[in-house]
Amino acid sequence: MSRWAMVIDLRRCIGCHSCTVACQVGNELPLGMFWNMVTTVGPNGRYPTLGYYHIPRPCFHCDDPPCVSCCPTGASSQRADGIVLVDQDKCIGCKACITACPYGARTLNPDLGTVQKCTFCEHLIGENKEPYCVSACHQRARIFGDLDDTGSEVYRLVHEENALQIMPEVGTDPHCYYIFPHRGRT
Amino acid sequence: MKIERAWGWPVALELFLTGLGGGIMIVSAAADLFFGADNLFLPGSFAATVLVAIGSGLLIFELGRPFQFHRVFSREKAVMTVGAYMLSLLIGVSFVYGTFMFSFLPWHPLEGLRQLVAVIGLLLSMSVVIYTGVLPASMKARPFWHGPALPVLFMVSAISIGIAVQYLLVQALASGNEAAVAEGLLSAANIVLITVGLIVLFIYVLTMRVSAAPPAAEAANAWLKGRQKLAFWVGLVGIGMIVPLVLYAVGITITCILASAGVLIGGIVLRFLIIYSGDRTPLPGEAEFLAKLPRGDEEFLRAWEGAGP
Repeated sequence: MSRWAMVIDLRRCIGCHSCTVACQVGNELPLGMFWNMVTTVGPNGRYPTLGYYHIPRPCFHCDDPPCVSCCPTGASSQRADGIVLVDQDKCIGCKACITACPYGARTLNPDLGTVQKCTFCEHLIGENKEPYCVSACHQRARIFGDLDDTGSEVYRLVHEENALQIMPEVGTDPHCYYIFPHRGRT
Repeated sequence: MKIERAWGWPVALELFLTGLGGGIMIVSAAADLFFGADNLFLPGSFAATVLVAIGSGLLIFELGRPFQFHRVFSREKAVMTVGAYMLSLLIGVSFVYGTFMFSFLPWHPLEGLRQLVAVIGLLLSMSVVIYTGVLPASMKARPFWHGPALPVLFMVSAISIGIAVQYLLVQALASGNEAAVAEGLLSAANIVLITVGLIVLFIYVLTMRVSAAPPAAEAANAWLKGRQKLAFWVGLVGIGMIVPLVLYAVGITITCILASAGVLIGGIVLRFLIIYSGDRTPLPGEAEFLAKLPRGDEEFLRAWEGAGP
């Protein structure tokens, strides 16, 4: 069985927003909708040791997704390979999942009245391709793969590098890991 | 732009109306079961039907796809699905219970059946008023809501506003010795509930003020001394609790009517304050990112796209 996950190396990310653009173009998102975003932290520190870094944020496809457990229609569900999806036919737009997501990964599509989010480009994974945001990253800051495959790069990074989850204290076990610049994170 | 807040005024109003309907039903059923209050509180049961129906209707109106609302009954493990079932049942049960006041109906004299419906109604309405707090409290992404406080607070508040409406109904529709006794009991009961409500409210706010999660601490501070201090101190604590407490204690008809009105205002203010305070913890740099996004030009851009070649 596979468990899809993503590692984002913030030491390599230059904050160019290419992943956001690739996602919006590839998935044909309506104006103003983000499935991925890139925030900037800093500049922090004191001269001359100032620094800043960028955090790209897709959906974290958590292992214990609060957006799925609160969904009254079963539209939000998690596949066996870990990917959390919203069935657009079943979603009624009650926005419980938007309220439940600790990471702001979900948005209401005002034209459809349904909630949409990053799908890890499951249609591409099915064709053995990488998600748009991963293939568009010219810095190779995004590494996508199968966490159940002990030979995969994501497995190695998660288990051997200092790859961390964001806000793990919420208890959702996000499956997007970050390698932070400096030591640890701010 | 700030962190998104998916739920707005329709949800706040829905929580108020369903809480109010539930509270009224609690008083009707409890008075019947524990005090043998004949027909005095049965008109309130119809009020509960109407209020819960309007509240549920608002929730449907608030959906992104209102005509697909029946799907809300699909997943029994979800808090909202359970709530939808309970609200629907309460609409039906409170209506049936109310019909026991009409002597021309064949089931009017069936005392046992009426008691049974009252028991079901009491359990159901208690569940509904607790549900209105459990729904936000189940959101662990929202530190100001998450935890055991909201269900307790909303339950106490719902019974209190339920008593207030029942007082007004008895005042308007009934007269005589029985009505006078009932009014005295309702006032006394609400004095107790407002006091309990004040204690729960301040335990909640003062605990949240020292919460480890910044959004919860910020929200509590906004209530106590920030941008919502007027709504909190004047609307909720003043008009909604302290003033009614004094007015109920004075105990004249006119002061008790004013007290009941004040309690209702406090009930609305409480739910709006809660719904508009449930921020999640922003991701690092997220607030700055959102602040940089262009907003308000969507209409222009759509028109521009449409006008293109």
